[in-house]
Amino acid sequence: MAEDVQSSRNTPHVEEPLTDRLKGGIIITALSLVLVLATFYVSSPTVPRVMAILVAAVGVGVIAGWVPVRAPQDFYGGLALTLLSIFALVASAELPGQRGFAFGPGTAPRLFAILLATMGAAIALVGVLSDGARIEKYKVRGPALVIVGISLFAMLIRPFGLVLATYLAFMISIFGSKEMRWVESAIGAAVMTLGCVLLFVYLLNLPFQLWPQGNAFQLLFAQFADIFKNVFLILQKLVPGS
Amino acid sequence: MSELLSNLALGFGVAFSPMNVLFCLLGALVGTLVGVLPGIGTVATIAMLLPITFGLPPVGALIMLAGIYYGAQYGGSTTSVLVNIPGEATSVITCLDGHQMARQGRAGAALAIAAIGSFFAGCVATVLVAALGAPLTSLALLFGPAEYFSLMVLGLIFAVVLAKGSVLKAIAMVLTGLLMSMVGSDLETGAGRMTFDIAELADGIGFTNIAMGVFGFAEIIRNLELPEESRDIVSAKVTGLMPTRKDLIDSSGAIARGTLLGSLLGILPGGGAVIASFAAYTFEKRIARDPSRFGKGAIEGVAAPESANNAAAQTAFIPLLTLGIPPNAVMALMVGAMTIHGIVPGPQVMTKQPELFWGMISSMWIGNLMLVVINLPLVGVWVSLLRVPYRLLFPSIIVFCCIGIYSINNSPTDVMISALFGVVGYWLIKHDFEAAPMLLGFVLGPLMEENLRRAMLIARGDATVFFTRPISGGLLAIAIMLLILAVLPMIRKRREEVFVE
Repeated sequence: MAEDVQSSRNTPHVEEPLTDRLKGGIIITALSLVLVLATFYVSSPTVPRVMAILVAAVGVGVIAGWVPVRAPQDFYGGLALTLLSIFALVASAELPGQRGFAFGPGTAPRLFAILLATMGAAIALVGVLSDGARIEKYKVRGPALVIVGISLFAMLIRPFGLVLATYLAFMISIFGSKEMRWVESAIGAAVMTLGCVLLFVYLLNLPFQLWPQGNAFQLLFAQFADIFKNVFLILQKLVPGS
Repeated sequence: MSELLSNLALGFGVAFSPMNVLFCLLGALVGTLVGVLPGIGTVATIAMLLPITFGLPPVGALIMLAGIYYGAQYGGSTTSVLVNIPGEATSVITCLDGHQMARQGRAGAALAIAAIGSFFAGCVATVLVAALGAPLTSLALLFGPAEYFSLMVLGLIFAVVLAKGSVLKAIAMVLTGLLMSMVGSDLETGAGRMTFDIAELADGIGFTNIAMGVFGFAEIIRNLELPEESRDIVSAKVTGLMPTRKDLIDSSGAIARGTLLGSLLGILPGGGAVIASFAAYTFEKRIARDPSRFGKGAIEGVAAPESANNAAAQTAFIPLLTLGIPPNAVMALMVGAMTIHGIVPGPQVMTKQPELFWGMISSMWIGNLMLVVINLPLVGVWVSLLRVPYRLLFPSIIVFCCIGIYSINNSPTDVMISALFGVVGYWLIKHDFEAAPMLLGFVLGPLMEENLRRAMLIARGDATVFFTRPISGGLLAIAIMLLILAVLPMIRKRREEVFVE
């Protein structure tokens, strides 16, 4: 069913499987609807609202199968950039624009955002009109572990010091590779940690906390609180009702 | 002429001070190391090592960073020849003939020709930078905001045309970069733009964070997906480092042409070393009497791209030092390094800090000489480094990058932002978007906005000013022509051919 082969005249082209279509269409629709809602909370919403509604319509079209996605890589890539530029338009909607022939702080961001939205739409259109590459499957394990390792370093470096942060970041990210070996990794991490301490702290004299501070956990929680505060600040602007 | 000589004398005086020679050596060595190791590029390295240069005097810091840059071009060739794995994007093309030569037992000759070609190119490019510096600086004085804006448009268009893949996508990437550069406080009014009142975003998204994310972390994540390549290291002892007389004669033409092509492509904004090496190889193949030899160990196929990438790496400093416009991502990082040391890149560097300008240029020549001297004997050391398996290499690179980013501002948020951009970079790879044009757009964004604003203000809102002022109009005309050429189907096909090769 999902593997319906349509033979066009030159190149046989494979219809996108139904599940991909649903996934892609739903993501696009959901994101653009969030942006539509967000436009109700800024003062000059018309342009981004119309754009977001259009993208939402395209998303619905994808789900329903009215929009033939012949090059998913281009199509979704282009739409994502369009969504990004709508987001930028919403985020900069409150900034004063042009006064006479003097640029306001909002002029250039809006100019670039509109241009990007146009380009994104053009790329998506190409993805409908001509055959192209499918999206390669995303891997989860490798990227996730590497990102967790890096984030852990960021969270630990202040409260727990360079030694622990480096060692743990190394150990966690190495799990991203399928060829991990325990002993080798533990030794490698120790050598790398020692090397970094020697280079950055003793040779270059950079002001690093080496070992955990007395109130390490308190500091760690304070950092988490900061992150939540920032997430809240963004939500406050974009999500209705908060 | 005599002025040029006296300037160079001043430069060599600075560059030959023991400390600066040491920095130059250090930079060249680190650069070669990075060039040899696959999976870590020049951009990520320079970003990583920025904190190391904090404590150094400005001249020393820049000499070292420049050394890393051209050292990497050079180190990349070693692995290309011996292991058939390009250490750098710039030496991808060298694999083709270089590794074939190594298999035929001529690894020594290939490495030597690469070294000689690079050195020759380095010498020519050094003289070129010195010679073009002064006239271009005086040209810069003729530039008003409209001209600067148009020049940057031209640079971005170059980046688009030279990027591989779809022109539309490359333009979209440039615009994404421009849009992201708008985050942060507005320069004129101080209003926070798209910052959501988050204090950490008030200064904008840091360039190093983005660069490290999309070039460092994303690349690593990507590599983890690929099966580990079997590294077929040519283990036989590299002998016969001296090329034969015939080799020298065969390659001399290729070296000269590669140098010329590389120098030109390096100066152009948006160009750079990668494209120079590809162009030089293609050119050699086209004019060769017997093109079928290429890919089977033709010495010209090593000489031309290696000369070209070195020449381009050096002439890329010209727009930065004279006009203050970084032509590629590495040069954008150099802007960052200069700013840290309180130097504003642009025409005034040459007049206000001649010892910095000329010292850096002279150090390039010294650095190239060092590369020839240190590299050939050290080939064995570099090769043994390649035996470190990637599974140990990549976590080391990750923690090193983390510490590097953190130490720039002592900010954990910066590390988080670069992790985020690692994910973004991974997404870009999956959708076949190229990150380089985005980064260039990001760097030029604030400069472009400022000049656009000023030009419009001076012209009292008349947008035609960009076309009516002769220099500006000329630059834009070239940009439009380039764009049309790139979209024309015939050329597009040829571009694809070049990249497939």
